Amino acid sequence: MPLLDVRNLKKIYATRFGGVQVQALADVSFSVEQGEYVAIMGESGAGKTTLLNILAALDKPTSGEVLLRGKNIVRIPDKQLSAFRREHLGFVFQDFNLLDTFSVKDNILLPLVLSRKAVPEMEQRLDPIAAKLGITDILPKFPYEISGGQKQRAAVARALITQPELVLADEPTGALDSKASGQLLRLLDEINAAGQTILLVTHSTRAASHAGRVLFIKDGEVFHQLYRGSASNEAMFQRISDTLTALATGGDFS
Amino acid sequence: MRDLSFYPRLALTNLKNNRQTYYPYLLTCILCVMTFYTVLSISVNSSFESLPSAAWVQMVMIQGVFIISIFSAILIFYTNGFLIRRRKRELGLYNILGMEKRHVGRMMLFETLFTALFAIASGLLLGIVFSRVMFLILLRMLHLGSSIAFQLSPAVLIVTAVLFAVIFLFTLLSNLRQVRLANPVELLHGGQVGEREPRTSWPTAIAGVLCLGGGYAIAVTVKSPAAAILLFFLAVMLVIAGTYALFTAGSIALLKTLRKNKKFYYRPKPFIAVSGLIYRMKQNAKGLASICILSTMVILTIATTLSLYAGQEGMLDREFGREVTVSARPSEGGLTEEEVDALVDETLAEAGVTAIHRNTYRYTTFMAQKQDGLLSPQQDLGPAAPVLSLTVLPLEDYNRMAGQNRTLAPGQALVFTDGTPYGSGTVTLGQDTWYVAEELDSFPLAERTKAALFSSYTGECYIVLPTAEEVLTLSHLYGGNAGDQLRRACTFDLEGDDAAKTSFSGSLQEKLLPLPGTSMNSVHLVREYWYSLYGGFFFLGVFLGALFMMATALIIYYKQLSEGFEDRGRFLILQQVGMSQKEVRSTIRSQILMVFFLPLAVALLHTAFAFPVMRTILTAFGLSDLVLFFLCTAGTALVFSLLYFATYSLTARTYYKLVGHTI
Repeated sequence: MPLLDVRNLKKIYATRFGGVQVQALADVSFSVEQGEYVAIMGESGAGKTTLLNILAALDKPTSGEVLLRGKNIVRIPDKQLSAFRREHLGFVFQDFNLLDTFSVKDNILLPLVLSRKAVPEMEQRLDPIAAKLGITDILPKFPYEISGGQKQRAAVARALITQPELVLADEPTGALDSKASGQLLRLLDEINAAGQTILLVTHSTRAASHAGRVLFIKDGEVFHQLYRGSASNEAMFQRISDTLTALATGGDFS
Repeated sequence: MRDLSFYPRLALTNLKNNRQTYYPYLLTCILCVMTFYTVLSISVNSSFESLPSAAWVQMVMIQGVFIISIFSAILIFYTNGFLIRRRKRELGLYNILGMEKRHVGRMMLFETLFTALFAIASGLLLGIVFSRVMFLILLRMLHLGSSIAFQLSPAVLIVTAVLFAVIFLFTLLSNLRQVRLANPVELLHGGQVGEREPRTSWPTAIAGVLCLGGGYAIAVTVKSPAAAILLFFLAVMLVIAGTYALFTAGSIALLKTLRKNKKFYYRPKPFIAVSGLIYRMKQNAKGLASICILSTMVILTIATTLSLYAGQEGMLDREFGREVTVSARPSEGGLTEEEVDALVDETLAEAGVTAIHRNTYRYTTFMAQKQDGLLSPQQDLGPAAPVLSLTVLPLEDYNRMAGQNRTLAPGQALVFTDGTPYGSGTVTLGQDTWYVAEELDSFPLAERTKAALFSSYTGECYIVLPTAEEVLTLSHLYGGNAGDQLRRACTFDLEGDDAAKTSFSGSLQEKLLPLPGTSMNSVHLVREYWYSLYGGFFFLGVFLGALFMMATALIIYYKQLSEGFEDRGRFLILQQVGMSQKEVRSTIRSQILMVFFLPLAVALLHTAFAFPVMRTILTAFGLSDLVLFFLCTAGTALVFSLLYFATYSLTARTYYKLVGHTI
């Protein structure tokens, strides 16, 4: 059984005053195995964000199923959704989404606090993660006191601390400079190597080139996918750019 | 091609687009103009001057005019400052789009011009209508009848217009300064500079506790009215300073201490609430402290002025055993008893009223401090000893008035007090001591009031001595009488209609005025005077109360707005991290409730602590009815709390609308 199984997802938005309907996802199906590192690429408006919101249980599809370890998250009642999200999914966002009212430490502990974990357990979980991400020194600081790269590492720590089955990352390098991006991508590699399943949504060829598999979405459908196999990051980078070029030039003759 | 109407049109569009923040500002300005105009036009109404008793009202009103003008200026400035901070981004955008600073300035000139014109014009128009209504209400409250004409004075219109034009000019200047100082990039980011976590200032927090404690201590320990009036101002200053210090530093210190307690802090509700409040308190502490102080002022102003106004009849009853007292000095060429009687009878006949309960007695009167059985006319017993107004009279006169036939052995005395019982076995005045043969339950000249309800620090005390000689000796020693006879008082109540009673009192006073050694006191004259004084106070109290209330409502509204803008993003993140909508909602509600009801709770606490000292001060005005003052205070606090809650509910909708999109 795959860790995540997405079947025939369809999402249609009705505009506010009825009438015009916009189809964001036409028919999306794919699955992710335990321990995989999957990137989803696509142009603006391809349906990436809609897909991510549905996977994150923040939005409901018009039809289709999302199975996480065989459990259909579309069917989870609203009351249990937040707890489900907290315990099974981890999120990393483009603009970090750290709360400026909390110290870095408290930002990371937030999901555990919401799950009512005991203080010693929280600290026990925090220490190794902070050490691995190299943020032990900045734990008492506040988000406005640290750099973008540090913020994103704090956000990754927050995503990992609940030991989620799946980490969803939405353009995690989007707001970082190239050095910080490189560091973060290497970190994600390491985390994946340690067994964490990661689903990355991105524009960036470089970010996607770190993944084990790349899905391309166009007009609300999975258009193509690339497997890394034994290719290096550089070779993967080349293959992704070629695919994107083909997509941009070849797919649109009608 | 240059279109002259470009800037005015741009200005109008801006005002319309910012209506969410702008309309309340405009409304505030209009109400300020209206209030100022109303109070000013009443205070300078020239037909008041013909009434001697109303001179007080005008004096009180003119004080009010000053307070209102200063307060209006502060309020308009505060609101304007809030608006311009919100608009920094927009102004930065204009700059980047190619408008020079002088163009932005020109646009702002028109904005201010439109605001000023509209606010002043509608404020004056409403003021003209409103002041007419208020004028009639005031006349009723002062018992003046509607004989006085209302006047529309161009000078008042002009003064109001000029004052507010100047205030608006200053807001324009401060806005221009903001634009000139800033560069476009700063303006663009003006709304969202990363806020630092506030530092804990323990010294300020401790100073706050000390100030507040000091103020409260003064308020509850002061016993004598004289000390209360002296120390009240100090107490108010301490409480204001303490409130500001505690809201700013104290709240942060407390919250940070809570945060250090891991067991308490790392649970969902305290976790979000404590960290959110630390952040909120930094930005809101001053505003909340201001709301708290304003609220306290509203409650106390209205409660005290209302008590004075409503308690007048009670105070008059207590002050006057009989409605009219005519006192004369028979020695040194003063009037004899027969002459006084003749004069009173003649005046009664002229006015068409009759006298009842008529009595004549010899007496001497002076003030003395009391400590156990010791009475000190020098009043040197320290501030804790109550001050009594003593009236000493001979047994013979008492028996005649009371229709009794009591006897007193030499060295004995009868005692009566109208408030707290005398409670001692002796009366010692200087070298002389009398033993209290009986503490009387009733007295022909005064009524016993429910002692427990009244302050024990003032009161009337009647002492009956065996012989007139003893009374005369006391009058020589302490009563300021050098003659060989005691003063005589003729007291009576009046029967007839109210106007005749007042005219009787007035004409008797005029007749007595040129006669040496005479004096008179009439409840009907004092009532007229008090109604104008306390009516004026109350009227102004309600006015200022309404103005403070408006300011409070406005600050609450703007606080809700700025909170809403800030929280929108925060709650979205909390949801993504795994908080349910329900949890988010309840967190919002509890935080908002805490932030907005803290000032009210503290204001009510201030009011409770101010109660004893206000009561002591009111006894100096003659109001010692505790129940009345308590009811007035509790009623005012209740009505205020309801209004506060209504304001909160109305403005909270704005907040929920702002954050509502995300939840």
